[in-house]
Amino acid sequence: MNFQEILEKIKSKHEVLESKEDLGVLNAYIAPAKIAAVASFLKEELGFTQLNFITAVDLPANNSLEVVYRFLSYTTADAVVLKVKLDRAKAAVETISGVFQTADWHERETAEMFGITFLKHPDPNRLILPDGIEAPLRKDYKNPDMIPLPKA
Amino acid sequence: MGLMNGLDDKFVKKIPGMPVVIASAEWAINAGRSNSIWTLTFGLRCCAMEMMATGAAKYDWARFGFEVPAASPRRADLMIVAGTITTKMAPLVKRLYEQMAEPKYVIAMGACAISGGPFIYDSYSVIKGADKVIPVDIYIPGCPPRPEALLDGMIKLQKKIMKQKLTRVAP
Repeated sequence: MNFQEILEKIKSKHEVLESKEDLGVLNAYIAPAKIAAVASFLKEELGFTQLNFITAVDLPANNSLEVVYRFLSYTTADAVVLKVKLDRAKAAVETISGVFQTADWHERETAEMFGITFLKHPDPNRLILPDGIEAPLRKDYKNPDMIPLPKA
Repeated sequence: MGLMNGLDDKFVKKIPGMPVVIASAEWAINAGRSNSIWTLTFGLRCCAMEMMATGAAKYDWARFGFEVPAASPRRADLMIVAGTITTKMAPLVKRLYEQMAEPKYVIAMGACAISGGPFIYDSYSVIKGADKVIPVDIYIPGCPPRPEALLDGMIKLQKKIMKQKLTRVAP
C-alpha cells in the first residue's frame, strides 16, 4: 500500500484533519478524542500490529504540542504516523494502552518528559525521571543547575 | 623480589649474608597498598567498555597489581567512575563510595566524569563532574580515554599512594 491508499482507507472510517507525505510515510493528524479508535482501526482492519514508538514535539511558536505515534505492519512492511495536536497549557489526550500494551510505558515517558496527561491511563506514575524535574523536554524548561549553551 | 629492584638505599637496606631486609613501615605499607589495589566492578556508561578492555587480556591491568575486580564495595579499594553521572544515579554512586573501606581512591575516567563532558550545556539531568558527588584522586581526560591512558592514570595513582603518610595531623 502506498500512503494514498492508506489515507483513503482511514478516511473511509474516520475523520483525518490534515495529512502529508514525509519520506513516503503517511503523516495524518487526528482529533485527540479519536486517537484510540483510529489506533484500534489500524490494528484490527489494516494490519498495523506494531506500535513503534510514541513521542511528542513541542512547538511553542504555534502554541501546540504534537503527540506522535508510529505504527508498522509486519505483513506489508508499511508504516503510518499519526499525530495529535494539543494545547500547551492543558495538554491531555486519551491513552491507547488498551489497544497496544506497549503504549503504557511510552505514554508514561512522554507524559513526564512533556507534561502531557494521558487520560484513562492504567498506571499514570513517573517512569524514569527523578522527582523535581517536570517536563524537561519542553522548550521553555528552566532549571537552576542548567548551564545555557554559549552563543557561538 | 621484583618489588625491591631499583629501589633507593634510603628505603630498603639489604643486610649482607642474611635473607633479611629492613624497610620503613611507611614504605612497606604503601607498597603493599599500591600494588594490590582491588577495583570496584562498577561502570556507569560507555567508558566502562574501555575500562573492561583495560582489565581484559590485551591490556591486562593485573600486570600492575590491580588484580581482582571486587564484586562488593566492601572489598574494593579503587572506584573508577567510568561514565556520566546523572541526578538519579548520583546518590547510588555516593552510597557505593561510602560503603568502600578506607583507604579508598577514586579515578574520574573520561570527559563526563571530569566535568559533564558533552552534556555540560542545557542538560537537566547530568551532574557536572564526579567531584560534585565524591572526592576524586585522579582525572583522566578522553572521550573515552584509551586503555593506555587509563593504565597511565592508575600508575599515577600508585605513585600518589606511595607518597602517603601513615600519621595524620589532627585538624
